Amino acid sequence: MRSEHILSVDKEPVSKSKVAVLSGTNKRDDQWTLLLVEVGTNRDRKAFAQLFRHFAPLLKGFAQASRHEGWFPGIGEELVQEVMIKVWQKAAGFDPSKASATTWIYTVARNCRIDMLRRKSNTQHLPLENEDLWQEADEETPMSALRQRRNEEQIKTCLSQLPKEQDEILRKVYLEGKSHTEASQELGLPLGTVKSRVRLALQKLQVLVTSDYREEMSNE
Amino acid sequence: MSNKQHCPSPEMLTEFSAGTLEPAASICVSAHLHYCSHCRSELLNLNEVGAQLMTQSSPADINSDALLDDVMKKIDELPEVEAPQVKQRAVSDLPHAVEKMINTAPKPPVWRRLTKSLDIQRLISGQNKFEVALHKIHAGGKTPQHNHQGIEYTVVLKGSFSDEKSVYSEGDFIVRNPGDIHQPMGANNGECICLSALEAPIRLTNPLGFLLKPWLRINPM
Repeated sequence: MRSEHILSVDKEPVSKSKVAVLSGTNKRDDQWTLLLVEVGTNRDRKAFAQLFRHFAPLLKGFAQASRHEGWFPGIGEELVQEVMIKVWQKAAGFDPSKASATTWIYTVARNCRIDMLRRKSNTQHLPLENEDLWQEADEETPMSALRQRRNEEQIKTCLSQLPKEQDEILRKVYLEGKSHTEASQELGLPLGTVKSRVRLALQKLQVLVTSDYREEMSNE
Repeated sequence: MSNKQHCPSPEMLTEFSAGTLEPAASICVSAHLHYCSHCRSELLNLNEVGAQLMTQSSPADINSDALLDDVMKKIDELPEVEAPQVKQRAVSDLPHAVEKMINTAPKPPVWRRLTKSLDIQRLISGQNKFEVALHKIHAGGKTPQHNHQGIEYTVVLKGSFSDEKSVYSEGDFIVRNPGDIHQPMGANNGECICLSALEAPIRLTNPLGFLLKPWLRINPM
């Protein structure tokens, strides 16, 4: 491999052990997660069909929400197919201690949607797929599975309580795939307003509440 | 790497998580994640926001059964399912995206000398708004002072360098905005390798800098 020559080769390969994090009470028990584990470990087609019926309509909606360059009318069902085939193929690598099935499938869908739109609008040689950019994030993180799960619950509850304009902006960003700049043009709002709405929303969800974030907020 | 000063802004992480960040910037954020567990865990939470929004949105009309049949047919035609991957850090310990750009390039990327203390290796990244490249600052080397006309993202992959503002070490993520003038210097104890994505040509502020211009011009691939 060419890249070996870039940096020195003195580090031991680190293999990741799932055993520790998978044990005991940290396992997830929501039904979609259990089904996905079934698909991964036993190649269970019935479990896969149940997942399919639940996620297909959501994935189709997700695909259709992004009217980006490269969008085409059949994108909905094409994305459903591509994502669900990936789910089948990659289910064995799903680690329920790190994310719920819903989050895991969302990340597959997000990456597929970006690549699909890019393929349709771009004829350049594309050395990287979006999935490649997410390999790193998949590495072990110091956050405990328990804390991760608490965060999930918190986000779920708090989302339903967001003020309308913050909910709207998060949907634009995550579902319609609009950059902050695009969202500001579309909503006819200054970029700064869009940015601060996103921040406020994420603060309410208790995501990204780091110190420098607060500092930036107070500077505005 | 836990110095939050040298991490992508929360905004960038949010856009990265939503998949709306510029591809070149995304490559740099991704390289930073290789070193920064703090940002990795932030992203787990940000992904959760997207996941919840997706499940709470109204489902589209779809003939699930017919589509499931199609998918099952395609699955049956697939070659044997790959075994779960045992994840190992690449031997080179480079961020995955960087490694892949190097290894999939039609021609092996080569180092070219820019100045006596600075080499460049241009990478093919599949977009043409930014020049994505590796820079190597030699130990103790001074790079020419330059003026940015566009945004530049830098991630330190190996070693460290400093400029007027700070010292940057492995994993640090740095944004330079248009108008920023700086003169990076390599640390004395070894070479420094950085990944950078540069939006527009930089202007050398040294009077003799014009001599270097042909090699420093932006060259997105």
